Amino acid sequence: MAWPTEITAMDKGRILEVAFDDGRTIRLTAERLRVESPSAEVQGHSPSQKKIVAGKENVAIVGIEPVGNYAIKIVFDDGHDTGLYTWDYLRKLAN
Amino acid sequence: MVSRDEVMAALAAVPGPDGRTPLPESGAVSGVTVREGKVFVAIAIDPKRAKVMEPMRASAEAAIRAISGVAGAVVTLTAESARAVANGGPAHGHQTDGPPRRHGRSSEPVPGVKHVIAVASGKGGVGKSTVACNLAVGLAKLGLKIGVLDADLYGPSMPKLFGISAKPGLAPDGQKLVPLKAFGVKVMSIGFLIEEGAPVIWRGPMVMSALNQLLREVEWGELDVLVVDMPPGTGDTQLTMAQNVPLAGAVIVSTPQDLALIDARRGIAMFGQVKVPLLGVVENMSYFVCPHCGERTDVFAHGGARKEAEKLGVPFLGEVPLDIAIRAHSDDGRPVVASMPESPQANALIEIARRVADTLAVGAPGARPAPRIRVL
Repeated sequence: MAWPTEITAMDKGRILEVAFDDGRTIRLTAERLRVESPSAEVQGHSPSQKKIVAGKENVAIVGIEPVGNYAIKIVFDDGHDTGLYTWDYLRKLAN
Repeated sequence: MVSRDEVMAALAAVPGPDGRTPLPESGAVSGVTVREGKVFVAIAIDPKRAKVMEPMRASAEAAIRAISGVAGAVVTLTAESARAVANGGPAHGHQTDGPPRRHGRSSEPVPGVKHVIAVASGKGGVGKSTVACNLAVGLAKLGLKIGVLDADLYGPSMPKLFGISAKPGLAPDGQKLVPLKAFGVKVMSIGFLIEEGAPVIWRGPMVMSALNQLLREVEWGELDVLVVDMPPGTGDTQLTMAQNVPLAGAVIVSTPQDLALIDARRGIAMFGQVKVPLLGVVENMSYFVCPHCGERTDVFAHGGARKEAEKLGVPFLGEVPLDIAIRAHSDDGRPVVASMPESPQANALIEIARRVADTLAVGAPGARPAPRIRVL
């Protein structure tokens, strides 16, 4: 399994860049990460409950905290901070 | 019913982001919501100044709480550029208290502690705590600095297993608890803080908060390994531990019988999901040697845990017999590794400790370094 080596929020928090140990580097916009947050606040508890999050084109990442060995918690400037992004999920968003 | 005007009037006593202009006139209050007596306020600031603004946020919250009829107040700092904020407060009733918070919820390593390892099982009653206790004493005998955190809040066993009934004292800083010491091991358990036999009847969030305190508000000092004795199962405690500390690895304890192995597999799968590497599997109650006739009986079958470990490609750490001396010494609070160090039973456990120590020295199979995280 590919493992991240460097996780960097850049461009004033608009872009998250993740370098993996298999040589691949992915870039995700803060907007994409915000609207696809794995948090139950966005995803609900089943696919039918998924919320469409609008108006986040200017959202920025203000903080990143490690969660155990397997994920990061991203803090956005609109106060959203309940999404835990696993390594697998970050890869999935990039595909 | 609290009105928006009342909130604004209360906030007039709090200087805004520039340190002078009262908040309502500063233009920084970007959202006020009152719902069932709870007040949610967003204050827009430059995100770079989030840390400096924390006292302002706290005073704003205090000012709102002081209004009569207010059941709760949540003031959040948001970035200036964000437009839609605090529209209805946090969804799902989650508490948010602004970005610059670090209430020990993050997964930073515990200061001074080199490795945190979990001793877990899927099923209860397989002797996980007994193994954890003897593993810790065994590691200490190898010359390592060891602590034990009893994470089984509902059924703490460490006070009994280590024969400790004292209450932990307060560190000189007046904040942290000093762990108790027995057999060369520092021990902390919720069992030291409550009466023996008193039930702990808590929901998940209480468990999470108590675990964090046992982990970070205890003066562990310098430790090579902190052994965490987990409760059985795959629930709140396991998830909290997996999220709050980068675990160096997990030891899975199982009896050889199929019924226990099914749950052990669940435990192994859980650690796999949260990317906690496995240090290995211990087969406890592996066999019974009759003290009268010397005949060996495989009470729970034999070799099942070893086979399972091989099947899953996980290291097998060793077999511990079902044995009266281990049981009796555990009940007496004198772990067999310390009280009968030359016995075959103790040897089996010390051998397991040695394998764990060797594995930790080079890193558990599959263990990867944490990624470097930067916010530019």
